[in-house]
Amino acid sequence: MISLSDFSHEHTRGSLAVSVQELGLTYTTSIDKKPTLKARLKTLGRGKKHTRTVQALNEVSLDVHYGTVLGIIGSNGAGKSSLMRVISGIVPPTSGRVEVYGSVSTLLALGVGFNPSMTGRENVYLGGLAAGMSQSEIDEKFEAIADFSELGEAIDSPMRTYSSGMYARLAFSVAAIVEPDILIVDEALSTGDAKFKEKSLNRMKELRTADRALILVSHALATIEDLCNEVIWLNKGKLMARGKPAEVIAEYQKFMNVGKSASSDEDV
Amino acid sequence: MTQPIVVYEPFKAGLPPMRAYLRSLWHRRAFISEFARSELREQNFGSVFGQLWLVLNPLLLSGVYFLLIYVIGGTSDATRFGHLTSTLFLFYLIANSLTGGVKAITSGQRLILNTSFPRIMLPISAVVVAIFRFLPTLVVAFAIHAILGLPYSWEMLWAFPILMIAIVMALGMAILISCINVYFRDISSMLPYLTRSLLYLSPILYEASKISDSIKRFEVVNPIFYLLDSWSRVMVHGLAPTMDGLLHASLFAFGIFIVGTYFFLSRERDFAVRL
Repeated sequence: MISLSDFSHEHTRGSLAVSVQELGLTYTTSIDKKPTLKARLKTLGRGKKHTRTVQALNEVSLDVHYGTVLGIIGSNGAGKSSLMRVISGIVPPTSGRVEVYGSVSTLLALGVGFNPSMTGRENVYLGGLAAGMSQSEIDEKFEAIADFSELGEAIDSPMRTYSSGMYARLAFSVAAIVEPDILIVDEALSTGDAKFKEKSLNRMKELRTADRALILVSHALATIEDLCNEVIWLNKGKLMARGKPAEVIAEYQKFMNVGKSASSDEDV
Repeated sequence: MTQPIVVYEPFKAGLPPMRAYLRSLWHRRAFISEFARSELREQNFGSVFGQLWLVLNPLLLSGVYFLLIYVIGGTSDATRFGHLTSTLFLFYLIANSLTGGVKAITSGQRLILNTSFPRIMLPISAVVVAIFRFLPTLVVAFAIHAILGLPYSWEMLWAFPILMIAIVMALGMAILISCINVYFRDISSMLPYLTRSLLYLSPILYEASKISDSIKRFEVVNPIFYLLDSWSRVMVHGLAPTMDGLLHASLFAFGIFIVGTYFFLSRERDFAVRL
């Protein structure tokens, strides 16, 4: 598993950051949001299905190089979040291979706030330690994280007292301040108030350096076009297109307006 | 840079690559201690009164059972009171591990969905919290031992391996139940009934030697029966545990630990898509 403290930033523009090779992901998940033993026993012998199998990714191959800001677009259920989770090591692939050439920081599903009864400070430390950072590395970054989040004294209040905007601000601050080699952000730029949204966007622009790779998942196509220098489009777990943001976004929008194309019907 | 830092491939035989997994677990050991500290702080054990409560709570518990069994029951045997407190405290190490462990994965949802780390850290952390809560009760048990004038002997050193067996058992149970609760979320609601049943079926309110052989025959399926009996022999009577008792406790502890850990590791890849 990857650690943020295992290696230093020494990458040149164009060198490989992430290599995804013929990646497939199939998983079984529960149909009920909260499966219970009681429900299972009550329907025993009635042939009711409790799980469903999802093919989230199907033979996806792509390389991400340092200096790239890669945007990932696609409709709901296209496999965007699944791809991010496999690249970050959160879910292992079912087939294929992912090679990662640097430290990864993730902002998927607003990761900070693991224990709402604990303070923002405690959650930042626990999240950092779980990600493989050392105590001293978190000490070093903590002030910058707290400042960026603009939470003030609330950083020492239990996170159950936070609003969703405060959660989002702290989560973004942690992911964006730790300065990883590869930053993966999933649908996080649309949270928080307008002022913080602008601040987050500016921070993302600051992070667009030659020795870093950014991967962004968003439904906000204007943001993707503004931030990214490359875009991929996923549909039903398959890579449909890859290229310059304006071209891929136009192709995606055309597809969405037209409906299902013949090529995507093949994948159903 | 030509060599990848990390490679993600499908798990072989459903298990993660164990060497990398254990290395990653060791690298994140600071998480476990910080989690335990934060959890205890949250439960107010960071304050003087909170720490006092850690000692008062087991004392009050043993007081309640003392009232029930010995005052109302009319018995006044010092050895039996020593047995009650010592075994009750060890029982709570296991029960608190189960209570903390059952929701370790489901309540760690945000972390699991966002970060790559060995998920087994979460139930292990719950057991570490239970151990921190158990340690002050050990001091209380020794104080009661001295007040009641119970015997001391070198055989009491057997307490260390028995405690180790208890911790392995607590770890196995916490790891197993944390995983089961991902698939059946009502397990956490059933847990109080399970722990209460274990309390009454184990030699805590009575001594193992006081029950008939016909009933004792069934106790072979109770994983903590001989563990608590061995603990009582060592801590209360100053005797060595019986080899049969020690073997029974060890087999159950390591059996549950191995089965629980295997089950957990083979299911761990599902957690992020099941939560």
